Amino acid sequence: MDAHSERTACTQSVHPVFCSIVPPHVLDHLSRSGDPTLYEPARRTLEHDALQRTRRRITTVRMTAAAGVPGVTGEDADKKPQRTISDAAHREELPGTKVRSEGEEPTDDASVNRAYAGLGATFELYLSVFSRYSIDGAGMPLDATVHYGRNYGNAFWDGERMVFGDGDGEVFRDFTLPVDVIGHELTHGVTQHTANLAYFGQSGALNESVSDVFGSLIKQYGLAQTAEQADWLIGDGLFTDRVEGTALRSMKAPGTAYDDDVLGKDPQPATMEDYVHTGSDNGGVHINSGIPNHAFHQLATDLGGHAWERAGQIWYDTLTSGDLTPDADFAAFAGATVSAAGSRYGDGSPEREAVLKSWSEVGVTPAEA
Amino acid sequence: MRITVTRTGGFAGITRRATLETQGRPDAEELAALARSALAEGRGEMHMVVPDGFVYEVEADGDKGHFADPRLTEAQSALVRKVLKEGT
Repeated sequence: MDAHSERTACTQSVHPVFCSIVPPHVLDHLSRSGDPTLYEPARRTLEHDALQRTRRRITTVRMTAAAGVPGVTGEDADKKPQRTISDAAHREELPGTKVRSEGEEPTDDASVNRAYAGLGATFELYLSVFSRYSIDGAGMPLDATVHYGRNYGNAFWDGERMVFGDGDGEVFRDFTLPVDVIGHELTHGVTQHTANLAYFGQSGALNESVSDVFGSLIKQYGLAQTAEQADWLIGDGLFTDRVEGTALRSMKAPGTAYDDDVLGKDPQPATMEDYVHTGSDNGGVHINSGIPNHAFHQLATDLGGHAWERAGQIWYDTLTSGDLTPDADFAAFAGATVSAAGSRYGDGSPEREAVLKSWSEVGVTPAEA
Repeated sequence: MRITVTRTGGFAGITRRATLETQGRPDAEELAALARSALAEGRGEMHMVVPDGFVYEVEADGDKGHFADPRLTEAQSALVRKVLKEGT
């Protein structure tokens, strides 16, 4: 696509921040109108009243009973997910028909059960590690739709729910297969309710990266892996056998996840030197996310142990600090991670030093806080 | 009619593009009508891009439109599916 044929406008002052693809002549017209309401997003996040919700005592599904991983204790023990899985029955209408609600037995549909379990695994990581009660921090119900569309090779977050296709039968398999994909989508919801990073350019790549980071942490937490043991892959198991590749992205080695005759080569850069300037994909949000992804990997492996404990905590603190503006760029985000590490572990701490080193390794100079 | 669909974004961020020449096809008129409907329905609309959502650019005989999941009309959805599947 001609990068200049497409312009994107982002809403930044309202919640959530979404971007819109607008034909250039429309954008020109809008830019002259000066009417802020023209930039209002078409849809708003529903405000849920946590007090109205029924809390059911159920057992959160985990991938494994991870040894050495602390569970939910104290006052958080009463906090349970409220999951609802719907089936779009291969149509493109949302939400579809409700097929499994919280506490109900597994169905005979593996996609439904995987989505249910993945939502549970994501809920548990946020609650037990970061004391975050669901996506919004206030017990928001977790909704997902499976079997969206026909031969639909994608998954997305629509601002309220996660939506999964069954794969296109050529390149992609069922998008509910990798748990990190489920965690990635739900984390878009967390970002929407916290830093609200605009989905375009560097802030969009950060939004994507944060979803990859926590998606990977959800997988690592379920498997009780250390940073050294983790594969740091996003979407492992998603490609069909005919694709030459292991996954969609590699946080450990961005740019190496696939190299295929049809798909081409994984375009992710690992450092700023190879930053990709493009108008496609909202300014390369799924491409340049490789840079902050790799910074997180470097930090986590440098610190060692379980990545969610310190590296993940620093990233979570950054996301929820209130210090990030929706249009934060890599340097601003990096600066906020340095501040977050200093606040939690001390200004002279090895953690803060490791954060500085990780950004230096990917060529990002943290902005002064 | 020559119809080109470019799909960008999505979880994978992989761009797909395909062109379908309707001339000589038994369903040529049907396809041209579908393309006209899809473009007409998208005119003047602002399409919100949701995280990981696909974005489509459709070009047919010099007319161009942009659509984004998950709010495609039936005609738009049918058109992009057809062209990406059968186009080259």
